[in-house]
Amino acid sequence: MNLRRTTIVLFALSIVSSPLINHKAHGQERDEIKQELKELKQMMEKMQERIDDLEERNHVLEQQAKDEAETIEVEEETDLTVIEPPSEEGQTFLGKALNTLNPEISVTGIFAGAWYSQDDPFVFAEIDPQNTGVNVQEIELGFQANVDPYFRFDSFFPITEEGIEIEEAYGTTLFSLPLNSQFRVGKMRAKFGRINQIHRHSQNFVTLPLPAAQFLGEHLNPTSIEANFLVPVPWYMELSASGGSPEVETPTFARDEDANDLGRLLYIFHIANFFELSESLGVSLGGSFATGSNGTAPGARSNLYGIDLFAKYRPLRNNPYQEIMLQSEFMYLDAETPEENLENWGWYGQLVYRFAKRWNSGFRFGIIDTNTPVEEEKEGLLVEPAGTFSLLRDEEGEEEGMLGLLGRTYRISPMLTFNPSEFSRMRLEYDYLNQSFGPNQHAIFLQFQYAIGAHGAHRY
Amino acid sequence: MKIYTNIRFLTLVFAFASISIFSEGRDASAEVKIVTSIPDFAAIAKEIGGDKVVVESLAKGYQDPHFVDAKPIFITRLNQADLLVYNGLDLEIGWLPILITGARNSDIAAPAALGHYNASTSIKNVLEIPTAPVDRSIGDVHPGGNPHYMLDPRNGIPVARGIAARLIRMDPENASYYEENFKNFASTLRLKISEWETELKPFKGTKVVTYHKMWIYFTKWAGLTEAGYIEPKPGIPPSPSHVANLIKSMEKLQVKLIIAANFYPEKTASLVAEKTGAAFLSLPVLVEGRDGINTYTELFDAIVGEVTSALKDKTGSVKDSVYRHKE
Repeated sequence: MNLRRTTIVLFALSIVSSPLINHKAHGQERDEIKQELKELKQMMEKMQERIDDLEERNHVLEQQAKDEAETIEVEEETDLTVIEPPSEEGQTFLGKALNTLNPEISVTGIFAGAWYSQDDPFVFAEIDPQNTGVNVQEIELGFQANVDPYFRFDSFFPITEEGIEIEEAYGTTLFSLPLNSQFRVGKMRAKFGRINQIHRHSQNFVTLPLPAAQFLGEHLNPTSIEANFLVPVPWYMELSASGGSPEVETPTFARDEDANDLGRLLYIFHIANFFELSESLGVSLGGSFATGSNGTAPGARSNLYGIDLFAKYRPLRNNPYQEIMLQSEFMYLDAETPEENLENWGWYGQLVYRFAKRWNSGFRFGIIDTNTPVEEEKEGLLVEPAGTFSLLRDEEGEEEGMLGLLGRTYRISPMLTFNPSEFSRMRLEYDYLNQSFGPNQHAIFLQFQYAIGAHGAHRY
Repeated sequence: MKIYTNIRFLTLVFAFASISIFSEGRDASAEVKIVTSIPDFAAIAKEIGGDKVVVESLAKGYQDPHFVDAKPIFITRLNQADLLVYNGLDLEIGWLPILITGARNSDIAAPAALGHYNASTSIKNVLEIPTAPVDRSIGDVHPGGNPHYMLDPRNGIPVARGIAARLIRMDPENASYYEENFKNFASTLRLKISEWETELKPFKGTKVVTYHKMWIYFTKWAGLTEAGYIEPKPGIPPSPSHVANLIKSMEKLQVKLIIAANFYPEKTASLVAEKTGAAFLSLPVLVEGRDGINTYTELFDAIVGEVTSALKDKTGSVKDSVYRHKE
């Protein structure tokens, strides 16, 4: 019994202990295997990584090749309906902000070498060359940009020998308004005729046409509110009306010093028509009317009427750089003064022929005349003799211009222009001036123009 | 007092008459009015929009698109437009901005408006974007890159898609119609592109001289190499000394073809061609650039056809041209 029990116990013990014994006997070998397995596993993991890496690279290369070969296919597969709202295409927020912050800036310089046949020559406009010699006609700074989705702001500041001025600074509405109307508010070249809306560097001659200089001054640019309407007719028709400050640098209009009356502000109306007679021939025809105080007496008004015509022939096929432009304006001034109504009128017509890409030539005739000539006193001073009117438009005794005319004046001006590029210009012009009350005058000009900065769009 | 009342009455009548005319004008037809700057876009828009749209191009196909007159009548057209499609990259800078301002139409005025589509924003590979600061002493270079991207026919597809996407958003009722038309347009054009590429393949690497720096999209796609320009600098007419140098270098490089857009003067280019024995092609570069070219594919049929046949003539045979090129 004891032996049996002892045997069983021993057996049991052996059984129980056997794994321990075994373990002790084979422990070292198992560890080695485990280690190897671990290493193998690590190796395999590394290999897998490399395979993945290679596969990835291969995939990228394949994709690149595919992209290169099949750009068009990829383009076409894109679903039209999931295309991004196109409004922001290519415009980052920063880009937009920069555009808003940086207006288009331009600087234009006009210089003229001039020769006059006499001392103290007759000069009709502010920035016509003043004397024999080399003259700065104008240096114009321009800043233009859209303000926001609703307004655009354009401003131009000419710098002359006399200082800096505001030629134009106005906002334009960009949004749709009832009756296809548009508003401009600020100081601007008024829509009176044609040449008044064209900056000097875009004009075709060195000097300003006589009627424009006489009746509008260098430019008629009141500070005003202008409304204009696009009339729904088959051709282009625009009506515009503006009302504003009579403080303009022209002898025709002036502030009525004592008036507290909206009726004595300066009001300007314009109708513009454009007819496209063929793809090569376009004709603009316009009418203008301006009314306001002239400052000679309380309530004394000036009424200025204008007709403008512009025609351009430019064959679009084959000969792209030849064009012929005809431009003409007629103005009639009816001015009340305490004693008498002054009746002055003026006309100019000019023909410009562009015969090569960079060359054009032109001829202009301008005349101003009056039914009520004023008389010239001795010593060249204009005074106010009985029955006639010579109205000095100055406060400090300096002669600036006068409402009336001494008599008939006409001027003939041929010119030749070379434009090396769109941004520079050289112009040769001869002016012959004939006045019924004074000596004739000859003048020769050689003008240079340069434009840097933003490339503005050209008016028609 | 009576006069005053009359004036007031007349003003009211006029105002109401105008309002009724205007509102009629806007609602008379449900068609989408599309105005494009150049006829390429008009042709594509016609194919996408079909009878659901009215399309008009401001510039003519035989006209230099850099120098278009900003005719006031264009203001009227833009005033009535629902969608304006233009090239961008300053191609129209001399005439379009003033028209947009005058149009008083907020549907097309702002760059963010749905009706304002600057097609260059859809072009992925704009070429010749200046890397150095731009200065006009190098000529009239466009700071945003070369604007003549429509001379690579592959660019017709993203532009067509852009137009289709706009039309779908403006006129969702006909969305599937526009989508279908776009798909047809794109697959037809793709087919034609591979045909043209096959035609052009034998002439890969052939050197050509161009008039204005406007052919880079075409030559790059066609595999031609630009070896010189008739214009010394973009926008500057050729001077005698430049022409003399060009003739010398063309002889040295054995240039066999001169290409120019058909709105440029032909005199200098044909003189150079005569002196060097090269062929001179005055090619249409826009749809309607010549009678009979009314679609975008017809434009490239003409360009590719003339270029390949001129090269075949000048180089004798295809094999010969490859041989000469290797030489």
